[in-house]
Amino acid sequence: MAYEKKHAEHAPAGHSGHNEEHFREKHLMLDPLPRGQMNEMVMDSMHTTSWKFWVVFGVLSAIVVYGLFYSWGVMIAEGLGVAGVNRPSYWGIFLVNTVFWIGISHAGTFISAILRVFKAEFRRPFTRAAELMTTFGLVQAGFSIFMHMGRVWLSYWLFPYANQRMLWPNLHSPLSWDLLAITTYLLSSTMYLFLPLIPDLAMARDRSNGWRKTFYKVLALGFRGTEGEWTHLRNAMNIFAFAIIPVMFSVHTIVSWDFAAATRPGWNSTIFGPYFVVGALHSGMGAVVMVLAVVRGTMKNMKYFIRPEHFEAIGKLMLIISMAWAYFFFNDYMVQWYGGDKWTKQLLHFHEAGPMGWMWFAMLIFNIAIPWAVLWNARWRSTPWIVFTVGLLINVGMWFERYIIIPISLSINRMPFTWRLYQPGIEIPLGIGTLAFFILLYMAASRLIPLIPVWEVQEGQMAHELKKFGRETVVTVSELE
Amino acid sequence: MAESEIVDLLAVFSDLEPAADAIEHLRSIGVHDDCMNVISGVPVTEAMLGRPSQWTNVPRIAMGGAILGFCGGVFLTYVAPFLYPYPIQVSSQAFVPGPPTVVVLFELTMLGMLLSTFLGVFLDSFFPNYRPMKYVPEVSDGKIAVLIECSHVEEQKVTDVLKKMGAESVRPSEAQHL
Repeated sequence: MAYEKKHAEHAPAGHSGHNEEHFREKHLMLDPLPRGQMNEMVMDSMHTTSWKFWVVFGVLSAIVVYGLFYSWGVMIAEGLGVAGVNRPSYWGIFLVNTVFWIGISHAGTFISAILRVFKAEFRRPFTRAAELMTTFGLVQAGFSIFMHMGRVWLSYWLFPYANQRMLWPNLHSPLSWDLLAITTYLLSSTMYLFLPLIPDLAMARDRSNGWRKTFYKVLALGFRGTEGEWTHLRNAMNIFAFAIIPVMFSVHTIVSWDFAAATRPGWNSTIFGPYFVVGALHSGMGAVVMVLAVVRGTMKNMKYFIRPEHFEAIGKLMLIISMAWAYFFFNDYMVQWYGGDKWTKQLLHFHEAGPMGWMWFAMLIFNIAIPWAVLWNARWRSTPWIVFTVGLLINVGMWFERYIIIPISLSINRMPFTWRLYQPGIEIPLGIGTLAFFILLYMAASRLIPLIPVWEVQEGQMAHELKKFGRETVVTVSELE
Repeated sequence: MAESEIVDLLAVFSDLEPAADAIEHLRSIGVHDDCMNVISGVPVTEAMLGRPSQWTNVPRIAMGGAILGFCGGVFLTYVAPFLYPYPIQVSSQAFVPGPPTVVVLFELTMLGMLLSTFLGVFLDSFFPNYRPMKYVPEVSDGKIAVLIECSHVEEQKVTDVLKKMGAESVRPSEAQHL
């Protein structure tokens, strides 16, 4: 203490105060506000809706009605013939979208579970925003699979129980594993979204009237914040944080086995599991950063909670994940190229120089070149609109990647007389419909549930403080659990 | 002691420190830990308040769910194939092949564990509970509330201690709809 005091005396006048002010501006965890005020800010952000919000909401609703429900109705009435799937590309945009949305859903778990396990403090204000993406992304993935089925009313045939002839679904099939993995992940991530939400729902209950009061009262389940309730909640959240990580890895690995377990050129790869998982994280992180930029830019009071430091931290993760994706991509490519199999070489050539070659190059530019060129710079990756743009391009690039893996790779096989380029039909409005539905659900949720986990933010602010080491002021974190 | 002689007091503190001091003082005047409960808007650990550890069944319930999920997986992978009237052989795989079995067992074990963890919170916390309860909404604004159960004759003494230790308000608590 005497050491600190002595050095503080030698510091230039006002230096320490200026330094602390700088830290407070930069770090949410060092800029605490009274809890009541933070609650008020979050509630206010939920209640404030401009006419622009309703215009966008209306337009998206119209797109959902046409793109998702009407088009799907047409497909159900007319059959899968209205879609572009045909020999040899029996898997088209429906499955591209399934893989894409499952990928998006990985970001929530990555941010909420992995960063929670490693106690990465910057995660605190946006865990819920990411978890919501997981749940809503999986809903779209589910829709996309049901679309792919065609006869969606028979989807219950997938469930593991015996039919009238005592036949059970074949659990040797990767498609059955998909059902188990996606169901497990959807249920787990929804529960993992709900558990930390309970205290914030109780907060909203205490500050609401009318139908909102009833809504929050029902959802808060009678939570008061007793020692016992917090203990049970904390234990459950710890179990979830650890257990949901392998579930997350298993989901996209199993999705990759839908392809890798086949002996097709371009698909039969032992590295597809981790390659898909990293790809999922790549698109998921890009989507999180887009959501955060929009939430910060459009919702009231969000500039206090979501700051450039958060974009900076996520930007670093995006850069690392981009490098990992490049490594897995090249590893997969290299082994296939070196193998020299006639059909595989033909396929690789088709990827790069075929009619959709532009997509292959765009994928590499969006997923590797642009993130590397931009995200190395701390100033750029702290700028919301720049990181938003990079996130958007990554998502376009990752969608291209799935398009190349699925319908484009299916266009070329060992029977040249069947070669045909996939031309999507009704898949396009249906795909746009799922995207619109995702945004619509998110917009509705942003006005109904607190997007910021206020209690987690307050807990983090309690744990952080500035400490002086000599003339240097540094941020220290106490472990409160 | 007749039940009507028991009173519930609710003391509201602005911070953790005075609440922890008050709990220590209450203990020193003979209020048992079982007669106190702390309500807070952030997770405050027992160690911070100098309180005994809270018992939770959540990990045990989670383990039970994992075992049930595993058993469900065993049924689907090992038992269900034998229920077919005409056994189905998939290519050259064994009748009950190892690797696909691992996948199904893993997924169902995890599903069982996570579902029961969620259920465990409901069971241990008696959720959902919409009956009237003792509560102050200031808790969600960052205040710490201490709920004390004491006899009517001790009420004044307990109130004095709580006020002396910095309670912003001390009042008899009545159950109300949240």
